[in-house]
Amino acid sequence: MDDLPVEKIAISGPTLASLMQRFSSSSGPIDGLLFGHVSLLTPSTLSDDSSTTTTSSSSSETLIATVTSFLSSSSTSLSFYSPSGRVNPSHLAPSSSSSLLGWFSARRKSPLRPSMREFSVSESLSSLPNLSFPILNSSSSLSPCIFLLLTTPIPDQAIHTHEYRAYQFCASTESFDPKSVDIVNIGPAFRGHYGAFSPNSNFPSLACELRSSAMVEDKKEQEESSSRIKQAAEDQRHLDQCAEGFEIGRLSGLMGSEATNYTAGLEDLYEKMLAKIKNLAREVELSSAKVFEQENHNRKLRQKAARYAGSE
Amino acid sequence: MASDGLPPLIASQLNYLLSHHALDVKVEQMWSGNKYYPGVLDRFTIAIPFCLDVIKWDVIYNAESPMSAPDIIFGPEDESFHPFSAKSPKNCNLLDDWNSRDPTRLMALIQELRNQYVDYQRKRVGDVDDARLNFEISTIVFREGIEMALSSGAEKPDEVKFAVPITDMKIDRMVPGCPWRGPPKMYLQVMYPVGKKHVTAPLAPRLKLVSNSELKAFFSIEDVKLPPWSDGMCMAEYLPHLEESLEKQILEAVSLIDVRRRFIEALVPQFGWPLEADPVFCRKATFLAGSGVFTFLVHFMISTQFPKQQPALMLQSCQHLSSQGVPVKSSLMTDYPWSPRWETSQMAERICEFLADEALNFKRHCNESQLQH
Repeated sequence: MDDLPVEKIAISGPTLASLMQRFSSSSGPIDGLLFGHVSLLTPSTLSDDSSTTTTSSSSSETLIATVTSFLSSSSTSLSFYSPSGRVNPSHLAPSSSSSLLGWFSARRKSPLRPSMREFSVSESLSSLPNLSFPILNSSSSLSPCIFLLLTTPIPDQAIHTHEYRAYQFCASTESFDPKSVDIVNIGPAFRGHYGAFSPNSNFPSLACELRSSAMVEDKKEQEESSSRIKQAAEDQRHLDQCAEGFEIGRLSGLMGSEATNYTAGLEDLYEKMLAKIKNLAREVELSSAKVFEQENHNRKLRQKAARYAGSE
Repeated sequence: MASDGLPPLIASQLNYLLSHHALDVKVEQMWSGNKYYPGVLDRFTIAIPFCLDVIKWDVIYNAESPMSAPDIIFGPEDESFHPFSAKSPKNCNLLDDWNSRDPTRLMALIQELRNQYVDYQRKRVGDVDDARLNFEISTIVFREGIEMALSSGAEKPDEVKFAVPITDMKIDRMVPGCPWRGPPKMYLQVMYPVGKKHVTAPLAPRLKLVSNSELKAFFSIEDVKLPPWSDGMCMAEYLPHLEESLEKQILEAVSLIDVRRRFIEALVPQFGWPLEADPVFCRKATFLAGSGVFTFLVHFMISTQFPKQQPALMLQSCQHLSSQGVPVKSSLMTDYPWSPRWETSQMAERICEFLADEALNFKRHCNESQLQH
């Protein structure tokens, strides 16, 4: 079985920035998993944007892999693969919201081409059958064959501080095919992305068919639906917590004489939300400072251990 | 020390590799990939001899975790070299059971990778669509130690290189007191242009003899006249000719050692016992001489072409120092009366006569250079 060739690899600016930030703040090399989705896009040739005259309209559909998130592991303990690059499938828990597209490796001051181990990991990862995932808008599936390599140049005086290259691993030829990377942005070039947009945040799905469940006779199904009701109530509670003090009922104040008060209430809600976000940000800041401190401590211990082991 | 700045566990592995590998592996550069400890080096480029050339691989350790196995990045032209590919199950234990306290591990890994690289290049050469080349390989592949490589670049035409080890003469045993660890290695480099389909008559390959520098002490490989490569010849035919003629020339070179020794011995009645002489290859000898109260050293430098080529002489004063504090020396003298047909005793006498005159010139030269300071 061979994978369909991906046309290009898209990654959102914040995801790439966050990946680079994670890399540049780590002391050593890092690696991890890439999540997202692959979709079959029909490029739209219609454009209301006068600045571009789209003449190169490739009529065929293109396969685009979109990276939406990543999971990085500190590479001091080789994460999901063995030193020779064999992937341990039990370390890869299936994720519900998005598919495992592939993996990334980020190493400082090294040539921008895949290493011996990176080849083995990519080969092993794309050969695991139970990791294949469906392509959106299509009946075929793809294995986790995407590899993103990030490096920094070896000479210190280089103009670039970061370099990256994306590949699709091709199992039949045992080779890496370099792919162009698109940073997802607004504009005519990304029109296809709007059509294929799929949210992957964990916003609770609200059960809207609450009333119809009363019709169900079957006891077992009733039990099931009661648990569903419970779940829905729980989700509703979470949602209300987010919009504390601003219930659905108040939407009626949107019109009529109460409208002025409504604006004030809405502003109040936003202020409360901002305060909450600020608190959250503060908490994140404090905890990452703690994590940093702990990592520093660990590094010192490791250095000590290595020195001891070497001087034996 | 080559490994200064490396974490101790990595340093011991690198040192073992550099000192114990059968081939002369060298470190090209070392650098650090760590953000917080730029002084702790954890990556280096090694140059490994292969097919009379070198291959350069980057060895990437992690200073954060010096106990982990290293990773290797191969050269940009070797994109399709995958030694630990799952399709050809190989010895992955080298990496999976990595023991950082065992200093031999890096060398074992590099040796295994080089062996696989030899096979990889042999397969690449075998895949070249060229009838003559395929015939050459089928007749010569069994020769022990042969290496081959396909070199292709954007700007030059594709070429297949062979490094064929030649002569199993135990030269080190033929020369008494030879300080070498083993017989010197000699290779014939054969380079075939490939991929030119339109050429009707196949071009003769380019040939070159290569040896390690030790051999220079008594045999100059550059001066070897290669037998001609006639049309339609193949390596299996050519090599016996070459080896035969090479063996003859080496035996002659060995016999010339004795000629040089007899010459040095013939100098003794004229100059007295040498202060210093090369007892193995007899290429150098230094005698003490005097002209009145002026004493000086005579250095004899005897080429491998002796007696066809006369020895080069240099005088060195024992009494005069230059402004830098080193003894004053004459320039090399190679133009004095000489005939290769003279008896060795006559050679010694004629040199002695020549030096009797030359000593006066040299003494004047020494005194003049002394006055200038």
